[in-house]
Amino acid sequence: MNSMKFKTNSSKASLPSNAYFNAAQSFVKLRLAYALVITLSIFLSACGADSGAENLTKQNNNQADANSSDYKGPAAFSDDAQNFKRSLWDNIVLPGRCVECHSSDTENQSPLFADFANVNTAYTAANTIVNLNDPATSRMITKVENGHNCWLTSDSACVDILVRYIENWAGDSAGAATEIKLRAPQIKDPGATKTFPEDSSAFNTIIYEPILSKYCQTCHVEGIQTPYIASADIETAYNAAKSRIDLEVPAGSRLVGRLRNEFHNCWDGNCTTSSAEMEAAISTFVEGLTTESVDPDLVNSKALTLIGDGLVANAGGRFEDNIIALYEFKEGEGEDGLNITANDTSGIEPALNLSLSGNAEWVGGWGIKIGPAMTDPETNALLRNGKAQGSTSASAKLHDRIKATGEYTIETWVVPNNVSQEDARIITYSGSSESRNFTLSQSLYNYEVLHRSSTTDQNAVFATADADERLQASLQHVVVTFAPGQGRKIYVNGQFTGDVDPAEAGNFSEWDNSFAFVLGNETDGNSLWQGTIRMVAIHDRALNEAQITQNFEVGVGEKFFLLFSISHLIDSDDPNTADDFIVFQASQMDSFSYLFTEPYFISLNANPSLNNIPLKGLRLGINGKIAEVAQSFQTVDMVLDNSLYTNETGQPISRLGTLISLQKGGSEDEFFLSFEEIGSFTNVIVNAVPPSPAAPANSPAEPEIGLKTFDEVNASMSVMTGVASTDTKVKNTFDKVKQQLPSIENIGGFLSAHQMAITQLAIQYCDALVENTSLRSGFFPGFDFNENANTAFDTEGRDLIINPLLSKFIGSSLTSQPADADVITELNNLMDTLTSCANTTSCDAQRTGTTVKATCAAVLGSATTLVQ
Amino acid sequence: MPVSNTHRFLAAACPFIACCLFSMSTISLADERDQAKRMHDRIAGVPPSPAVLDDMAADILAGNAEDAAFTAMENTAFYDVTLKNLAAPWTNEAMTKFVPLNDYTATVIGLVRDDADFRTVLYGNVLYEADASLGLSGYSIQNNNHYEELENGGYSLKDNLVFVNQSTRNGIPAEATAGVMTSRAAAQAFMIDGTNRALFRFTVLNHLCDDMEQLNDTSLPSDRIRQDVSRSPGGDSRIFLNSCIGCHNGMDPLTQAFAYYNFEYDVDTDPEGVNGRMVYNDVGMIDTFTQSRVQKKYRINANNFEYGYVTEDDRWDNNWRQGRNQLLGWDGTLPGTGNGAKTMAQELAHSEAFASCQVKKVFNNVCLRNPVDEQDRNRIEVITSNFKASGYKLKQVFADSATYCMGE
Repeated sequence: MNSMKFKTNSSKASLPSNAYFNAAQSFVKLRLAYALVITLSIFLSACGADSGAENLTKQNNNQADANSSDYKGPAAFSDDAQNFKRSLWDNIVLPGRCVECHSSDTENQSPLFADFANVNTAYTAANTIVNLNDPATSRMITKVENGHNCWLTSDSACVDILVRYIENWAGDSAGAATEIKLRAPQIKDPGATKTFPEDSSAFNTIIYEPILSKYCQTCHVEGIQTPYIASADIETAYNAAKSRIDLEVPAGSRLVGRLRNEFHNCWDGNCTTSSAEMEAAISTFVEGLTTESVDPDLVNSKALTLIGDGLVANAGGRFEDNIIALYEFKEGEGEDGLNITANDTSGIEPALNLSLSGNAEWVGGWGIKIGPAMTDPETNALLRNGKAQGSTSASAKLHDRIKATGEYTIETWVVPNNVSQEDARIITYSGSSESRNFTLSQSLYNYEVLHRSSTTDQNAVFATADADERLQASLQHVVVTFAPGQGRKIYVNGQFTGDVDPAEAGNFSEWDNSFAFVLGNETDGNSLWQGTIRMVAIHDRALNEAQITQNFEVGVGEKFFLLFSISHLIDSDDPNTADDFIVFQASQMDSFSYLFTEPYFISLNANPSLNNIPLKGLRLGINGKIAEVAQSFQTVDMVLDNSLYTNETGQPISRLGTLISLQKGGSEDEFFLSFEEIGSFTNVIVNAVPPSPAAPANSPAEPEIGLKTFDEVNASMSVMTGVASTDTKVKNTFDKVKQQLPSIENIGGFLSAHQMAITQLAIQYCDALVENTSLRSGFFPGFDFNENANTAFDTEGRDLIINPLLSKFIGSSLTSQPADADVITELNNLMDTLTSCANTTSCDAQRTGTTVKATCAAVLGSATTLVQ
Repeated sequence: MPVSNTHRFLAAACPFIACCLFSMSTISLADERDQAKRMHDRIAGVPPSPAVLDDMAADILAGNAEDAAFTAMENTAFYDVTLKNLAAPWTNEAMTKFVPLNDYTATVIGLVRDDADFRTVLYGNVLYEADASLGLSGYSIQNNNHYEELENGGYSLKDNLVFVNQSTRNGIPAEATAGVMTSRAAAQAFMIDGTNRALFRFTVLNHLCDDMEQLNDTSLPSDRIRQDVSRSPGGDSRIFLNSCIGCHNGMDPLTQAFAYYNFEYDVDTDPEGVNGRMVYNDVGMIDTFTQSRVQKKYRINANNFEYGYVTEDDRWDNNWRQGRNQLLGWDGTLPGTGNGAKTMAQELAHSEAFASCQVKKVFNNVCLRNPVDEQDRNRIEVITSNFKASGYKLKQVFADSATYCMGE
């Protein structure tokens, strides 16, 4: 097959993907001299085609009926050859695919596994380039994997589709989990790296003085906010900053990302320049460091990269017999960073490929992230709410197939950004916000399923129970099934939620084939869901519980086995043979880290000799340094021993997993293991004693006085008046104003509302005091409360009131209290006002009591009570 | 006369009130009588009687300010008001003082009154309840009525609290008691729902004076972080690696001490758990979900990160004995590991941070401010030393603080 492809003509960009595909089909019809008029110019180049004509034939299942029906050669000579034809050949003879070269009536390139003249010739040839026991290792697959004429823009998408065809050919073995055979990687030592110097002076002059101490000292110092990167003590600041500086990729430093990506307290109001300044400083700091060999004190394994040295660990095992659309998002953004197509790799034609638009981006470890409208920080272009949407005509595949079976399954791996979004469409097959065939959406902690059937309207809602809080902002496997007689069921992480569909299960006679399939939003872009989608599969049957569990347990994303050689550290047999390994399963967790899980020891030698070999303090290293964060295996303390070892599973080390921050990417980041003790090697790590924190800066002087708080005010008034706080009226008033009284002592927090509450309470206490003849005679001895007000408050009467108030409320000989003369003057003025009555009616004895209460309250409710 | 009739006179009274408030706020110097008044106000929350004032002033004049402080602590308001409101915010997540008296608060008050080693507040088999002679409803593990009756009756807490072994009241074994952490009030506030991490967080916040943010240390091993903590929240693992891990790597292995505890209540009829009760899975009691003594809440949301730690028992380990949180001053005579709440609580209570935290709280309560300068910080250290030397008697801290802040 030569390297030509169909050149994109001017009409291609304007055609929907299915039109492009169908146009390609029409080309083959022309090539085969069938009568069909096409109007656009065609450029032929190997396994790709393009024309502008809409084709006529709708593809069915994974068989290219339109082409196979054109086949005029001999019939398949065996059942297996027939399986080959139906599962693989019919698909690769589609226009633009392998048939363009590997057929005797085209380029006649060997092997002729797509021979359109004779399917039996093709069958014989295909058998030389496929491995039915392990389809992914077939020569046909690895060839395409390495860039050989994929008919799509993504090699990985072609690989997945071809693997699926071969699996279907293999029949019973399709979908079965395959055993991964471990093999030794290339043996290499951890590379040289840069490390932080002991001396903090370079950090001080390049990063600390010009930036950290200047801009971060308001918060990031002792006693206020960790990390103490701006501590007055340079060593404290240096130690705190180390884990936030990436010596390999300065731009990846947390100190930079916090400014650039999270807009955290940038200076001069500009995060772009702030982050650039920080990055430049770190780059300068890094440039001043010399590359050094890995710390010679470390006891290390050999080194590995994830993608170069890892063994692919995806062993298959998913149940996908009825899959009709599949998105694994392996394509990524492509080398040019411009790929916006998520391919449907189900192998079911027509491919329902999705176009990413707005704030939708690829994430590492396979997936897409959907975000809200924003301004692109690089181009300043306005990005709308993100989504990934297929064409309506390709989406009709879902309508046709699901309507035919009357069942469906929506299966996805998602990571919701948060648990606060509502009416957020994760997966929808709909026409508008009000009309749909089916929708999976998020409402706070719940998954919701809306769908249309003969027994419902087109928005029948079914959700997980509020109290269960099924939806979490973490990676979750979510499955929705529908089957007649069962209705909708929701499964989260392999478990049926137990929620019962309130709608009667109907059929899909009302479904609309003009709707579009969309991820992360509604067709109108107004029901954004924020989060990451790692996989989506649509099945035209309802998966049963076992199948769902099976798929959940397979997991999601690309996984590898990393075999870290430790043969040079232990002697299980021949020390010259690299066959002793600690194996991790590793994958890219998201765009920012790797996941390392379930380490175990294994020897590729069938009979290793393991005799109580100590293994202690296992740490993960990356790019020549021990990772600073998330060392979950450093507490490992065990021995490797034959009694704990089997040839099949080795010896487990831990069931845990941990994360390592991504630095350069899966192809470049180099990992190794380090040990405190292994075999006869030791590297004792002593816990460092942290430097004593610098004394915090002095704070402004605070007032020496403060307010009494609510209970103190109440208790004080009780003590001062002699009225019990349990007095019914007093208690009722206190309960009413309690939360209006000061609750903290800070005198700066005094409010007028506080004073009003204090006054109310003071009046109530004075009222209780004066109304109680026993109490008042004890408090105001000699004062006649039965005398009229206009005569009771003569000089002697006033003394009988004011003097007890002075002695019992204010105290004597206290310079911190108001001077007696001042108080007396004020109280006399008050009594003058209150007793200026003209006749005996208005100046009766009741007014006398009232005047005493008011005078009492004026003192009791004053600062003499309130301030302490 | 109805109160409302008196309101007419407020307009006349208010200028006087404001005048006094203003004039007093400018005062900064004091003689021994003023010092005694301030000391009494600060300690008891109420003014002294003339006789007590004279007595305290005489002590101060004679250079025995500490005696004066202890005199102020004889006032029942020190217990009914000051200590109650000091402890009340520790008993609820909102950290409000506006909560009824409860067994947590009463136990704090009782321990102070009896000059007990205050560290036992976290790990003792201790509980204070009302004297039976008051005729109140008995202590109940299913409601707070006993303490609300005690408070509403206006009874002196100084005179009417009695010590009992907590295990005789709440039905858990003596070795499972952990002072106020296993009080009913703490269970209702911090063991309700969730994962029991709240009980740990608020205990550290209230008794070591640090929230998790201040203790964040990402350098510690992460092997004990449970499965329910997402390693890539919202699809961004940086959040975990830069923030979450720094708290959970220390908190989770310590909170494991509460693995057998829960607060049970009827979420439908009693959503606040007013009538709920603390439960503890003793030996032989198996949780149907975990098939062990471990409460289900320790295994929820396991699929958030299946490779996370699975709690099998109540073994706790103090990772903070490594890293920067060594500065909390752990007791070198303790092993730093153990099983159950009692020993974990002892680990916390025997730290330097616990002692200095109690001092800071009392200092703030008595001086009405935080330490602001070197002189204050040095005094805090002296008071902390005195606290320890006294056998961890909190009254000593009140006395020292009040003396320091009684004015010049």
